[in-house]
Amino acid sequence: MNTNPHNAMDYGEETLRLIAGLPAPAGVEERVHAALRAAPDKARDKGHVLAWPARWRAKAVLESDWMRAAAAAAIVFVVVGGGWGVYTRVQQGQTGSVVVMPLRAPSSGGFAGAGAMRTPSTLPGTKSREQGSKGARERETQPVKMPAAPKKHSAQPANQVAPTPVVSQ
Amino acid sequence: MSASQAIFASQAITAGWMEIPTSAVDEEARRRAEDAAIAALVDQYAGALYRVAYSVLRNPSDAEDAVQEAFVRVLRHRQTLAEVRDQRVWLIRIVWNIVLDRKRRAKTRPETDDVSELTRVLPAKGLSAEELAAAAEHHAHVLGCVNQLPAKEREVLLLSAFDELTSVEIAAVLGISESSVRSRLFRARNLMAELLDHERSLR
Repeated sequence: MNTNPHNAMDYGEETLRLIAGLPAPAGVEERVHAALRAAPDKARDKGHVLAWPARWRAKAVLESDWMRAAAAAAIVFVVVGGGWGVYTRVQQGQTGSVVVMPLRAPSSGGFAGAGAMRTPSTLPGTKSREQGSKGARERETQPVKMPAAPKKHSAQPANQVAPTPVVSQ
Repeated sequence: MSASQAIFASQAITAGWMEIPTSAVDEEARRRAEDAAIAALVDQYAGALYRVAYSVLRNPSDAEDAVQEAFVRVLRHRQTLAEVRDQRVWLIRIVWNIVLDRKRRAKTRPETDDVSELTRVLPAKGLSAEELAAAAEHHAHVLGCVNQLPAKEREVLLLSAFDELTSVEIAAVLGISESSVRSRLFRARNLMAELLDHERSLR
């Protein structure tokens, strides 16, 4: 063992060389063989993402170049055809610029509207031209001055019919 | 298939004169030839790959798992086997990437080298029990210093410990140039010397 500090690096390398020279445990090869035999079929496969079914592959029909080309052409045809179909439908849908509201179908049950139409609630009073102006808004905020009620000059109101005298016979 | 037949098949495929049949009819024969080639690679290089894996992981079972995973990857990409020039370097590169990945994933684990494990593993010819314990402690200390090195320098230093790997092959494993290997190795040695001197001065 070298304890000289000037040869420190030699010492470090010696350790690494000792470790690098350690023999592999017995039976490593056999265990690796066993691991390879037990490897899943996916690893034994050719590494394709998609593979033909084993029955077809055994017949080797689908391994030929023309069959691959035909399959690729079919895939391209389906993709392009689908895209074209979507494109044409979108074009037809965009031709109408007016949005048509659906008609309301009369409800089968419940109360009927009897032809009544809903009218929007309006503001009380008449609308003047200056409505919306500053003066109009001020007037709106102030309490409404109601005209005074007519004074009762007689004990009996004019619209009241005088009682008919009872005639005794 | 015997080991000699497997090695013969592997060499024939690698040399290129034994053509792997490409027709669909001979798919099964092709597969058998590839299996034989992989079996030959296992027989030839499993031990070396284990040592490479152990030098990084320092755990026998982890190292063996890494070797198995490397060969499963080879099996998965066996159609490229004929294109590989240097199979040894190629395999070491595969297992190297696996062990680095495992090491990265297990980074939460404390990187301490078990002295008792080193005592058990490292050779102890003619050493007393005390000397053996001191040597194991020292080796653990050295490995601790190696762990303190930057990753690039550490990787080159670990691979340079394998006598069978030249600097060109280390460069091929790491995917860098040979001059980078040399400069990194130089830096690693200097850093190691500093670390070991520093540790000694503290004692």
